[in-house]
Amino acid sequence: MIDIENISKWYGDFQVLTDCTTQVAKGEVVVVCGPSGSGKSTLIKCVNGLEPVQQGRISVDGDDVTAKGANLTALRSRIGMVFQHFELYPHMSVLENLCLAQEKVLKRPRAEAVARAEKLLARVGMADHAAKFPSQLSGGQQQRIAIARSLAMDPIAMLFDEPTSALDPEMIKEVLDVMVELAQEGMTMMVVTHEMGFARKVADRVIFMDNGAIVEDRQTAAFFDNPESERAQDFLSKILDH
Amino acid sequence: MTDFDFNVIWSSLPFLWQGLQLSLLLTFLSIIGGIVLGTLLALARLSGIGPLAIVAATYVNLIRSVPLILVIFWFYFLVPLALGRPIGGFYSALIAFVLFEAAYYSEIMRAGIQSVKRGQVHAGQSTGLSYWQIQRYVVLPQAFRNMVPILVTQGIILFQDTSLVFVVSLRDFMTASSIVARTEGRLVEMYLFAALVYFVICFSGSMLVRSLKSRMAT
Repeated sequence: MIDIENISKWYGDFQVLTDCTTQVAKGEVVVVCGPSGSGKSTLIKCVNGLEPVQQGRISVDGDDVTAKGANLTALRSRIGMVFQHFELYPHMSVLENLCLAQEKVLKRPRAEAVARAEKLLARVGMADHAAKFPSQLSGGQQQRIAIARSLAMDPIAMLFDEPTSALDPEMIKEVLDVMVELAQEGMTMMVVTHEMGFARKVADRVIFMDNGAIVEDRQTAAFFDNPESERAQDFLSKILDH
Repeated sequence: MTDFDFNVIWSSLPFLWQGLQLSLLLTFLSIIGGIVLGTLLALARLSGIGPLAIVAATYVNLIRSVPLILVIFWFYFLVPLALGRPIGGFYSALIAFVLFEAAYYSEIMRAGIQSVKRGQVHAGQSTGLSYWQIQRYVVLPQAFRNMVPILVTQGIILFQDTSLVFVVSLRDFMTASSIVARTEGRLVEMYLFAALVYFVICFSGSMLVRSLKSRMAT
């Protein structure tokens, strides 16, 4: 469903992505990990065109994201994205956060948008908080709402950019639980995360990146049991044995 | 001291009140018009569309380099020439104020727009909102809220500046006070009173700004 072919990207003279190629099949869950600055967040931001690439091609469900004049707004409305810092709209209630794009992009009637929003809030365990504002909620609650906001658009795939990195430890689980459930329901997911427990539990594949390049791209069990590259071994030993 | 006569203020209150109404109306309409036009200018400058950004930047820099009084004169003399008929002091002054203040408001709104986190734009984009929808529903409401104290401060300055309309013979509060002062021969009393009125209004505005700021800080 997501096809990434030989993409390279530069910020000025600095190359952030080098010839990255991978695919994510429908219903597949792929975890992207690697040291910070390895380009993993940049890679998934390219998938919905938030970051332009200079070389290579990305297509989602057959639509070319990297083509000149690609209809990015239409494409993005079909791919959900969850951010490290939640990025809920602080001036809107939780309910309005979930309804805005439903009404403005999908042109859903108000009643339908509200119904969909309430259903999803219930699903992420936030049904009682629809009238609150983001600043009144904990990080974990905000992130669950952000996930619900993306799901409200009925996406064909979901991108997660370090969804638990900004959370206090005791809130990580509540967010991961929602993600695990989503994965088990068959959502196509690309997840940038350091949560190796999550990766082991639900990922079909793990991509390990270093210095802007994809160093390993393997089945989950194989990646954890015997990583091929020294860099991946080193990375795993550092984050698993602390 | 004994020959001060403050009764002149009471007897001319209706006349002064008319002047004050004009000052406040001009201030109010200019703030609204200035913010609307200023926001459009700020959006144009940040649009990333080269020619549009250059035109907006040139406009802002040009207007900010000339004295307000000159702009008021321009429009008093130029607008009737352009339209072929006089439009009166009030409308020419209003146009001048809106166009002049827009340049200042645009700088405030530009700072406000830039104060909104980039991630907010990404969030909007990722749900398929268009550029203008993101500005309208996500960025501008936050930019505006962040900038309310500065926008009010600029409004206070604008209120003081409306006293310049005497040059196009509009009878604002300052002009009305001057007229009373001269015809009644009570210069000291009237100018003291005028200063007091300006102080009360502007100081109330400053207090409002302060309470807005402290409310936003929490």
